[in-house]
Amino acid sequence: MPQAGHATGPAGTPGRRTLSAAEEAARIDAVRRYDILDTPPDGAFDRVAAMAARLFKVPVASVTIVDEDRIWFKAAHGLEGVSEIGREPGLCGSAILADETLVIPDTFTDPVAFNNGLVTGPMAVRFYAAAPIITGDGHRLGTVNILDTKPRLITEDDTATLADLAAIVLDELEMRLAALNALRTEQERRIEQEEARQRAERDKSAIEAFASTLQRTLLPPALPVVPGLELACHYATASPQNVGGDFYDVFPLGGKRWAFFLGDVCGKGPEAAALTSLTRYTLRAAALIDPDPDVVLTSLNTALLLDPAVGTRFCTAVFGVLEPHEDEGFTITVATGGHPPAYHLRGQGAVEAVQPKGGMLIGALAGAHFASHSIHLAPGEGLLLYTDGLTEARTLGGEMIGDEGLTRFLAARTGPVSAATVIGDTVDLIDAMPHGAGDDVALLALSVPLADAAASLTATATAHTIAPAGETPERRP
Amino acid sequence: MTDFRLTAQHTDGDLALAQVAGELDIDTAPHLRTQALALIEQGHRHLILDLAAVTFCDSSGFNALVGILRCAKSADGTLVLAAVPDRLARLLNLTGLDTLLPAHPTAAHALVAHTPSPDTATA
Repeated sequence: MPQAGHATGPAGTPGRRTLSAAEEAARIDAVRRYDILDTPPDGAFDRVAAMAARLFKVPVASVTIVDEDRIWFKAAHGLEGVSEIGREPGLCGSAILADETLVIPDTFTDPVAFNNGLVTGPMAVRFYAAAPIITGDGHRLGTVNILDTKPRLITEDDTATLADLAAIVLDELEMRLAALNALRTEQERRIEQEEARQRAERDKSAIEAFASTLQRTLLPPALPVVPGLELACHYATASPQNVGGDFYDVFPLGGKRWAFFLGDVCGKGPEAAALTSLTRYTLRAAALIDPDPDVVLTSLNTALLLDPAVGTRFCTAVFGVLEPHEDEGFTITVATGGHPPAYHLRGQGAVEAVQPKGGMLIGALAGAHFASHSIHLAPGEGLLLYTDGLTEARTLGGEMIGDEGLTRFLAARTGPVSAATVIGDTVDLIDAMPHGAGDDVALLALSVPLADAAASLTATATAHTIAPAGETPERRP
Repeated sequence: MTDFRLTAQHTDGDLALAQVAGELDIDTAPHLRTQALALIEQGHRHLILDLAAVTFCDSSGFNALVGILRCAKSADGTLVLAAVPDRLARLLNLTGLDTLLPAHPTAAHALVAHTPSPDTATA
């Protein structure tokens, strides 16, 4: 009976050849590629081993992978408790060197096998056959083996069957590899997505941190305490990623005089921020030289026109000086440069716009003229300054609050005026709008407490809000 | 891109009348500026802008008007507005621009006012 691949000669004869170091290295790479070594038992391979044992009626069958220095059993039928053996004495270590299925009908007569531990040991193997598991690119990963304690002969069909079983094992390995690769690709994709998300998150918070830090340099960190006066403010940019163009400040002029301003530069973003910064410090410096509000705004107009970096940008502002009134409260002198009027809240719902005639845009035209106007802020009265983000906020019907709406809102307030309450209620008004303000909003309120409340007045109220109250501003209709 | 249109209607010698329609905002203001400056460069240093069909004007629109005014003045010309919508008129008043930008109820009034002498419109 012909025995295909039956090798009786020593290693190096046509049946058993040696692999070169390069061939062996490539083979090991192939083994690693399938990532099969030391994986837990797997039904598919166990079935192949069981099927081999049943088909050939042998007590032992196994599926082995040949590692660098060991033979590892992926599946072993009839071999309890053996997971790997050394490569040197292993029969399948020789089998993977064979070109075809290796069959040793009687190990006692085989020059290599007769000395093998499986043969001389307690298992006393007399028959051994192994089909190499050969990859598509020709590497032998291991073998499908059958072993018996009696010598036997097998037919050519039998060896073909054994080779088929080895091919099934390879198919299974290929399937696992494809699944593993798909899983890896998916994991890599997920990791990349996660990294991209984290990067975007970091970028976003960096920009927000930058914007809010820059914003803080454009606004006073906290309002000062002005004796006899209650102060409150609110600031919200339309977007946390952008620096707003609104600004305000309150600062001492020496003696018992104080100055305050609030305004809006044209546009937003870094360029507007640069103009805001220039405006804020120019106003402070000019006020210390000559606090007359008319003169201060004229100085700012000149400074903006002379600064080539400002370009065609301009700003609008309200600038005021307050000093204690001879009787009670404060005398406030206000100049306006193209800005909406401040509102003098007289208490009990009385509201008056403070709008000196002829205050033009600041930084737009040489020779712009300004005018100032004085009022007496008595106990129980207040002054509200705001930027047009407030009056241009839109109601559910799409109507802007407008000057009329704001006047009505302020006139509905009865009783003595408190700066903190005015700011709080105005912020509530904006928050009640379907899209918030939709633009930057700065609010500054001053009030003189009534005599009995003044005693308990300890500090100012501030309400800095840098994050937007609503969502991103929508295009104006 | 918001809706905006500038139509030059009346271009006699150093005078140009242009109708402006749509919204004047950050998107359209540069176009208003460019097109108006082009008219001035073509020699129409006295410019009348008919704003009857302007539906919205924000600070960018103001910026453009100020820029056109500056350019007209540097060319010894004038900028005159006609048919200014109410809200825009209030804003012009608020910003003090009404003292620099003479306004007429209609484009026809502006043309008549210009006719006797180019300088009367700036008075």
